Amino acid sequence: MIAALAFYLFAAILIASAVMVVTARNPVHSVLFLILAFFNAAALFLIAGAEFLAMTLVIVYVGAVAVLFLFVVMMLDIDFARLREGFQRYAPVGAVIGGILFLELLLVVGSWSFADQAEDLRLAPITGDVTNAQALGRVIYTDYVYLFQTAGLILLVAMIGAIVLTHRQRPGTRRQNIAAQVNRSGSVLLEKVPSGAGIATLGIRRPPEPEAEKPKVTHEAGHGHGGHH
Amino acid sequence: MSWTLALPELVLACSGLVLLLAGVIPKQETFFPITMGAIGALLVTAVLVLGQGEGTALGGHYVADAFSGFMKILALGAAALGLLLSIDFNEKEGLGRFEFPVLVLFASLGAMVMISANDLMALYLGLELLSLPLYVIAAFNRDNARSSEAGLKYFVLGALASGLLLYGTTLVYGFAGTTNFDRLADAFSAAQGVSAGVIVGVVFVIAGLAFKVSAVPFHMWTPDVYEGAPTPVTAYFASAPKVAAIALLTRVLLGPFGDLAAQWQQVILLISFGSMILGSFAAIGQINLKRLMAYSSIGHVGYALMGLAVGSDTGLRGLLFYMAIYVFMNVGAFAVLVAMRRQGRAVEQVEDLAGLARTDLGMALWMAAFMFSMAGIPPLAGFFSKLYVFLAAVQGGFWTLAVVGVLTSVVSAYYYLRVVKVMFFDQPAGALDRAPASLTIVMAGTGLFTLLFGLFPAPLLAAAQAAAAALLG
Amino acid sequence: MAMGGTTEMTIGLAHYLTVSAILLVLGIFGIFLNRKNVIVILMSVELILLSVNLNFVAFSSWLNDLNGQVFAMFVLTVAAAEAAIGLAIVVIYFRNRGSIEVEDISTLKG
Repeated sequence: MIAALAFYLFAAILIASAVMVVTARNPVHSVLFLILAFFNAAALFLIAGAEFLAMTLVIVYVGAVAVLFLFVVMMLDIDFARLREGFQRYAPVGAVIGGILFLELLLVVGSWSFADQAEDLRLAPITGDVTNAQALGRVIYTDYVYLFQTAGLILLVAMIGAIVLTHRQRPGTRRQNIAAQVNRSGSVLLEKVPSGAGIATLGIRRPPEPEAEKPKVTHEAGHGHGGHH
Repeated sequence: MSWTLALPELVLACSGLVLLLAGVIPKQETFFPITMGAIGALLVTAVLVLGQGEGTALGGHYVADAFSGFMKILALGAAALGLLLSIDFNEKEGLGRFEFPVLVLFASLGAMVMISANDLMALYLGLELLSLPLYVIAAFNRDNARSSEAGLKYFVLGALASGLLLYGTTLVYGFAGTTNFDRLADAFSAAQGVSAGVIVGVVFVIAGLAFKVSAVPFHMWTPDVYEGAPTPVTAYFASAPKVAAIALLTRVLLGPFGDLAAQWQQVILLISFGSMILGSFAAIGQINLKRLMAYSSIGHVGYALMGLAVGSDTGLRGLLFYMAIYVFMNVGAFAVLVAMRRQGRAVEQVEDLAGLARTDLGMALWMAAFMFSMAGIPPLAGFFSKLYVFLAAVQGGFWTLAVVGVLTSVVSAYYYLRVVKVMFFDQPAGALDRAPASLTIVMAGTGLFTLLFGLFPAPLLAAAQAAAAALLG
Repeated sequence: MAMGGTTEMTIGLAHYLTVSAILLVLGIFGIFLNRKNVIVILMSVELILLSVNLNFVAFSSWLNDLNGQVFAMFVLTVAAAEAAIGLAIVVIYFRNRGSIEVEDISTLKG
């Protein structure tokens, strides 16, 4: 009873927020409604007994995908009002096509039947003696290792692709040189300073600049005395 | 679990990772050595495929047989040739970055996973491993508005297509309770009338795969993407991914869905008709060679699918045979397109070829050979490929299919011959730059294959026969 | 039709499938409706994939089979990768064109 009520509640919010995703005027609102939709879908997963997937959905989608969307929407300076031109024009056609498709799908799912031997054909029956996450963990790295590795390669390709498309090395940008940072030696020293004494009174000099910084120092010297000491 | 069966895939994946590292670590640009390394890795993998055993492995997700071997060698060869085309072009266009060969290599791995898929999950993951690098390399010329637009269009429609394909797989899974191809075949062979859900599912799966082979109702993206993407990328798009998607479509329809043939045969017939007709008529008015080749590739997919629509042993043999010859003549024609430069700038209009016979006779002759072959003029390879699918259609009693095929071939001959006419009889529009050695080699290799194939058709026919037999059991 | 099967207050498979079908239709509708706004199109694709996952989870639960959940997990993985690539392409498209309109494909048409 409670499960059924919860189902209807979450399903209603899910559908309402999905409607808002596609009709919202402001794409930032679309993304926020998308997040709401994911949360409610995760709740539906929970009701169906897929706990691990529910948590993954929240972590992956809300934590990564939706934030990525939000980031892009806010990073690009887009005139969204212009993009809504034609919205009214397409709405009736889209609604008719969508309505027909929906009716067809309703006919299909309304008369759903399983194959007679579906029970025997299952690849990984749920036994019920372990938790959902444990059961998934048992099969993913064994029976599904080939697909698991392929999925890993897909993520690698996505990473290469995103970097190769958007990463730019402009001449003016400064980059962190980790090797030089780690190799810094002799430039950091520890001194015991009595309280109340200033650095100048103790005669502690600034440590020598590291090798790589030398050209920069001379460059600054050319500008006269820098005010940032 | 005999993972050694998947040795070619493992080798290709590992060499991809090694090449990625080798490209990142040195300070200077490593495009050329990494490309050569990738070509080497593809060839080594092809040799391993030749020596591969047969059977299923890795939890039943992976299958190797004569069919998969045939298609994999085609896909790998097409990828290696595509990379060869890209060497000179990418360096001249400022696209010489080592990520390009690495992405092509991973896309080829995706093609192999698709071809060897024995499970709907492997089908989907292979398809995505193929598609994601393709979206990226379509937009690889990132400072060019046309290239990024091509990438965007391809991505949006590709993502939609794979979404629909996935929805179809959920319905199939929901009916049969399994995603394994062998088990699916068991579920459907028990004749008790499948539910409407499965039919809808199969149609969605066909639609998703038809998008990847750019068959007719799902072809809209093809001309735009082919035109906008860098030319070597287009050459790759028109060959390896098509081979993989056709292989997958064939395996899925004849394997797990073999008992639903009555349902899907009509769909494939319509797709084949539509592709042949659109491919021949829409190309007539094109002035851009890449768009022309896009419509031409749609038409060729239509001819190849004719073999699948027939569904018989000879039909399947015709399909495999057609794809093999198509890949070679297509890569050859694209080698000419890639070589088209005037004063260092890439040109791609039909009229830019004007008078090529007088300025560069060699290139004009190779191009003429490819165009005649694509039109299906007798002694050339393209004639034999068409002959075998038409024969299969006639033998299977699909007379209309064969007649439409012949008629559309005649129509398409018009625009192929127009290219030849422009090259040989029009006033020169100024000489094209000399083609670099790598392109000349590709042109000569594929050109000789196209010209001389008629003398030695037996080995390829035998291989296609064996591959077809492996699939039909 | 879909809801008619269950008279008692338990949740039927058809309930899940109907919710998922609505999401699928909304996703496709969203692509039609926002033909100019690529970012909303990408979000519509995410809705389609969500409907797919809902289907997988529902079937997995009713068949008592883990296979569907594993598939849904891979779909999640790939969807994340796809979103990353898609947004990267949107970003370079915007850099070139100063807009994310897909419809003014004046350069590519013919």
